[in-house]
Amino acid sequence: MESDRYDVIVVGAGVSGLVTAGAAAHRNLKVALVATGPGSFVTGPGWLKAQDILCASAAPELGEAIAFFCEMARRAGCPYAGDISTAKYLPTLLGDFQSVALAPLLLWNAEPRDGVSTAVIGIRGLSSFDENFMAERLSERARAMSSSGTYAARQISLSRDMGAPVTTLHLAQLFDRDPGFRKELVYALRAAASGFQRIFVPGMLGLASSAEQIAEFKRELLCEVCEIPTLPPSIPGLRVFHRMESYLHQIGVELFRGFPVKEVVIHDGLCTGVRIAAPGHAMNLRGLCVVLATGRHSASPLNGAYAGRDQQMRPLASTGAVMARNLFIAESLPDSGAGNNGDAMRILTGYRAGNLAASTRGNHAA
Amino acid sequence: MEATQVVIIGGGATGAGILWDLSLRGISAILLEQGDIANGATGRCHGLLHSGGRYAVKDPDTARECVAENRIIKAVAPHCVDEVGGIFVKCAQDDPAFFEQWWRAAGEVGIRSHRLSREEARELEPNLAADILGAFTCPDAHVDVFRLVLANLEAAVARGGRFLTYSEVTSILSADGRVRGVRYRNTRSGEEDEISCEVVINAAGGWAQGIAAMAGVDVPVLCDKGTLLVLNHRLNRRVINRCRKSSDADILVPAGPVCILGTSSIRVPSPEGLAASREEVDHLLRLGDELIPGLVNARILRIFCGVRPLYAPMPVEVARGREISRGFALLDHGTRDGVSGFISIVGGKLTTYRLMAAAACDCVAAKLGVDVECTTDKTPLRPAVDRTTHHRAIHVLPHPVAEMMERRLGPETDQVIQAIETRPDLAEVVCECELVTRGELEYVLGGATPAPACTIADVGRRTRLGFGPCQGTFCGYKAMLAGFQTHRWTASEAATEFSAYLHERAKGQAFIHQGKQVEQLDLNYDLYGADRMLCADSGKQDGI
Repeated sequence: MESDRYDVIVVGAGVSGLVTAGAAAHRNLKVALVATGPGSFVTGPGWLKAQDILCASAAPELGEAIAFFCEMARRAGCPYAGDISTAKYLPTLLGDFQSVALAPLLLWNAEPRDGVSTAVIGIRGLSSFDENFMAERLSERARAMSSSGTYAARQISLSRDMGAPVTTLHLAQLFDRDPGFRKELVYALRAAASGFQRIFVPGMLGLASSAEQIAEFKRELLCEVCEIPTLPPSIPGLRVFHRMESYLHQIGVELFRGFPVKEVVIHDGLCTGVRIAAPGHAMNLRGLCVVLATGRHSASPLNGAYAGRDQQMRPLASTGAVMARNLFIAESLPDSGAGNNGDAMRILTGYRAGNLAASTRGNHAA
Repeated sequence: MEATQVVIIGGGATGAGILWDLSLRGISAILLEQGDIANGATGRCHGLLHSGGRYAVKDPDTARECVAENRIIKAVAPHCVDEVGGIFVKCAQDDPAFFEQWWRAAGEVGIRSHRLSREEARELEPNLAADILGAFTCPDAHVDVFRLVLANLEAAVARGGRFLTYSEVTSILSADGRVRGVRYRNTRSGEEDEISCEVVINAAGGWAQGIAAMAGVDVPVLCDKGTLLVLNHRLNRRVINRCRKSSDADILVPAGPVCILGTSSIRVPSPEGLAASREEVDHLLRLGDELIPGLVNARILRIFCGVRPLYAPMPVEVARGREISRGFALLDHGTRDGVSGFISIVGGKLTTYRLMAAAACDCVAAKLGVDVECTTDKTPLRPAVDRTTHHRAIHVLPHPVAEMMERRLGPETDQVIQAIETRPDLAEVVCECELVTRGELEYVLGGATPAPACTIADVGRRTRLGFGPCQGTFCGYKAMLAGFQTHRWTASEAATEFSAYLHERAKGQAFIHQGKQVEQLDLNYDLYGADRMLCADSGKQDGI
């Protein structure tokens, strides 16, 4: 193998691209991940809705793909709970309950519970989160679902002047960096939690803190703590992205962040790599195969020249011919007109593309 | 039952202009609007303050009216107008004979214009296609329609005028061939009431035919749908018109931080339930791309439809949308149909709203025996912000934020600044595209303003909150929280309001199927679990 050539070049670092890169790297391939930004998964709570699972349920390997994703998340240090056959109701930004199949562990235990009293705790200065609104709504919604759980609002003030308005990102960074902040937070939360069996806090418990640090934080609180989603910056989603990205880096995936792919180079039905617009010059990455996981929203580097994709997820030209036999498209096509198929479909197609890329590379080697 | 001299039906630019005009003449009046301000054609147009160029060839009378009104509106409502100027572009694909015809006609109706070579035109507007032949300048401008309507209403209120939003007229009361008043229903509470009056003015635009029918008279109004696209950036500094016989997608108006491309012209049976089709959107984009290459790939924030309520006294089978005069008609149903105390003002356009109001008010004044001339052409709609308030504003807010607020609120800025001085957390910017502070948000939701907002969309019309790329995803949520925190709504009412708002915003994005905005739609889905069916819903589309 030539040293400057990748086995797989993955374009796009949304949840689909991350899984593609992970699946390929697990098969000991040399992988490059090229992306302009983090994709939209990071702006949400990071959970997989039950309806998203339903969207992808026709695929026989859905279970395998989701299991792979969960394993990758566990190794990356952001474990998930739940599986494709469960569904439980977790609080949303609007104080509703959303049917969720899998969620990051910190969000997982927030379902309505009979007889359990929960404090929704806001933070002074964090204006995009309103604990009174959330507690009032959750009480109503829980009642409507015949749950006897109760919700009350509490607010804590943190002594340090963080400037107003405070964002969840700011709080999460302090949480990661500053043991003093964590200690202060524990004391404040403990006081506010007195008399409650469970507390909800806005998603802010660090981006990079290790599972052990989180476990210690939870132990010190003396009661159960769950994160609930906030407006972006949404820490639960960002956390999954950051951790998975550093995990991929650890297992040898090379990351090219912030560079748009200008062209997918195709000669005689074979894709030889991609051209990246690095500042001041174009850079060529050569690869044995390429996976586009850019989603339906991005301007595709194929420039809309395709008419669909075949069973092997390869793009087809308007003549119906395969554009390149070693080029694969995960996610929806940018102009397929398909709606948002949800994150489960993104994981599934990413997983599939990663495996297809691996088998293509095998063919080449042979 | 209340009593007043005049009831005005319709809270668009014309109705609001009438309320202001009557208040200047000392005639008491109440305006009833079925939705929020600028709910119909006014709130769903380009916001183009015409120079007259568009009508110079086809309809010189309307063009002359536009020339005069363009100058007047700029003088009496400078805070509503962005004097961007405009050009008429000569495209290689178009009829060269029309260019000269336009130049002559423009001179005849009095439009200040000069010729630009291709190079000069492209220097002014670098995004124009390289193969254009040249251009003519004109004094087009952009007008913030919501602010214009509000400015008229608020000025009228200061002189004793009144207006009620979400008040739908359900019947017109009459006796002995005379209109005596109206019955109306609050569409939010369901409560009904009556107002007795001497004159009823029908300024209901697309709904004028239905209102007239309540009094047993026929006012033929033809609804001509126009679809417009809001694009993410200002691709142009000036209004760009295509110099040809009026056709689709030949106007691009810079509007605040965005620009608006339009429009189509399709006859529809009613002003309700408008929807754009994907073909229509693609068609507009393709044509727009001829003027500005690359426009086809621009990020579309929103697609909306409005209706031009055209007065069509000829059989509607014959009339085609763009061929009907954009002139207006004042119908005195006393002489026309034997129903006295009832007049309709129909047709016309945004640019001539003041003239339409003046005509209607002259007629009403004559009926009531009031001998006062119209002065709306000389009376500023509101005083400027005084220096002291300005200095206090820039002391507590960054300059651009303070300036935006002053432009929107005028002298009312004082009250918001006072609030911010006592509660510094109100200085937080909640809508970053339009620089709306929490203080301003709470102010328009509160009871101190003459035109309080009832819904989050109402907040948008008063502050432009939610008009940028997020389309209310973030700032709409914060507006909802503000409504809850100021005890306007309970938590569940607030959530219901926000869901309704998201639903309305989603309809305007139903045909956006590519580009960056789709990412925003995915985000809505992730955040709020917004039903995917929403995005496929091609139902009624609302204003920008």
